[in-house]
Amino acid sequence: MITTNLYSKELKRYRNSFIGWSISINVLILMGMAFYPVLMQGDMLKQMTVFFENPFMKNIMTAFGASLDDMTNVLGFYSSRSTMFITLLGSFFSILLAGKILAREEREKTAEFLLTKPVTRLEVFRSKLAAYFTYLLFLNVVILIIGFLSLEIFKGDTDYRLMAFIIHWIYCFLLMMAFGAIGLFLSLLIKRGRPITGVSIGIVLGGYFIDGLSKVSPSADKIGYLSPFKFVDSGVLRPDYALAGWRVMYFLGISLVLIVLTFVFYKKKDILV
Amino acid sequence: MIDTQGLTKYYGKSRGIIDLDLKIEQGEIFGFIGPNGAGKSTTIRTLLGLIFPSSGSGRIFGLDIVKDTKEIKKKIGFMPSEVNYYEKMDVHELLRYSANFYETNCESRIVELADTFDLDLDRKIIDLSRGNQKKVSILQCLIHQPPLLILDEPTSSLDPLMQAKFFDILREENSKGTTIFFSSHTLSEVQKMFRRVGIIKEGKIIAVEDIDNLRKKQLRKIQLEFTQPAKIDEIDCPGIIDPQTDKNNLFFLFSGTMNDFLHALAGKDIEDLIIEEPTLEEIFMHYYSEEKG
Repeated sequence: MITTNLYSKELKRYRNSFIGWSISINVLILMGMAFYPVLMQGDMLKQMTVFFENPFMKNIMTAFGASLDDMTNVLGFYSSRSTMFITLLGSFFSILLAGKILAREEREKTAEFLLTKPVTRLEVFRSKLAAYFTYLLFLNVVILIIGFLSLEIFKGDTDYRLMAFIIHWIYCFLLMMAFGAIGLFLSLLIKRGRPITGVSIGIVLGGYFIDGLSKVSPSADKIGYLSPFKFVDSGVLRPDYALAGWRVMYFLGISLVLIVLTFVFYKKKDILV
Repeated sequence: MIDTQGLTKYYGKSRGIIDLDLKIEQGEIFGFIGPNGAGKSTTIRTLLGLIFPSSGSGRIFGLDIVKDTKEIKKKIGFMPSEVNYYEKMDVHELLRYSANFYETNCESRIVELADTFDLDLDRKIIDLSRGNQKKVSILQCLIHQPPLLILDEPTSSLDPLMQAKFFDILREENSKGTTIFFSSHTLSEVQKMFRRVGIIKEGKIIAVEDIDNLRKKQLRKIQLEFTQPAKIDEIDCPGIIDPQTDKNNLFFLFSGTMNDFLHALAGKDIEDLIIEEPTLEEIFMHYYSEEKG
């Protein structure tokens, strides 16, 4: 059961933050996709090919998850561009929101108010988690719509597999959720709910670069598995592109374990304000 | 109403409260006094389930403070020592938010109490002075008309006028049967309101007294200055506690009757006489030495 009173207050409290992130991410998606028709116009692609033959540049682009072959297809272009905008920014949004939704009450000492009301810790936890999931879901639904529209608007004569787009969307969603669970868990380990913004951003960026590194260098391939980004399959153009059970299980598993652990801590935590 | 047995809380290795036995009867106004750091807030937070006891147990309304904390809180109004609210909310929003956690309609009560305390419901929390925030806190703990009020140093940063209004309301609530548990570090507050007081020091309850007994025992801090160097047994009167000398001065706490004391002074060569209310610390020390003795 969710405590409606608390849930709706949380929604209201983070509404502006949600709107800000949604607009930023989706504007970047649209702007990024607007380059696709430009790229497809004659010379541009040729120049890019030359540019890409430089091994250094090639490595850099690979690290960012882009390859020229992929980029000539509208969905390939979408997935390589969106790595930055969707997975990175979306993960920031998720880890930051989850990292403060519970801990902020302690930091701002309002936990004393909240937890002396007739609510159990479980109810508080569920209501806050529900508010977090609501916004994560909203953000991803908006991304789904804007992403689909941008593909339709800018695809020109090319075509893409809708299912591949949706599968990629699910992976991104799962990735954000996993980062959210990490943020939630970390925030609870910190005494008196001190902010973990820096650490959170570091974790996402760190994960992002580890994944990038593992793509460039075959010897670093294994290290990549330290990063949740590695578990997002962005090979949207492969004919066999599908949801892989082990990838999904990884994201769901990490989220579930961390959320349960967080609650176990939270249930027994001394609230010192 | 409140009943704790051997309630103990350690924060890691540092002491919170030790082996606290506290019994508070329904309908009483109980003062819980002690200096800062004595364990008042720890006790209250443990009772409210914000922190968990290291050992021992407690019951409120016969319900377990750890297991049944939600049921207990339905019937409690709590006022914290420091007010910390959601800064962006306005007062009315906060009070409604607070009220919505309970199963009663509190709207008319909010308006009525805001009027009594002269509180503007449309102001944002962040724009309020400390005193006004305190008023919000008072309203917040009263609006759902709970049968038990737990107040942690409620009068700090309230001006005397508001303090008087607040006490009036507490008395009114009490006459309707509300039990009040009130922590404080100033004795003057205690004397105005309470029937019984518990004195806590260094995590332990060192005395639980009827306020009438405490009044009878009312201590005075006395300083006498003689024309010659003072002797420790200069004054012979029952009720002199812990006399000390310094050159011509004699200091002591006095728990006897004034009349006896004045008689004992007759005929002495006295340069000056100062009679003061002892600080709470001195009263504690008195209780403390009695405890040891």
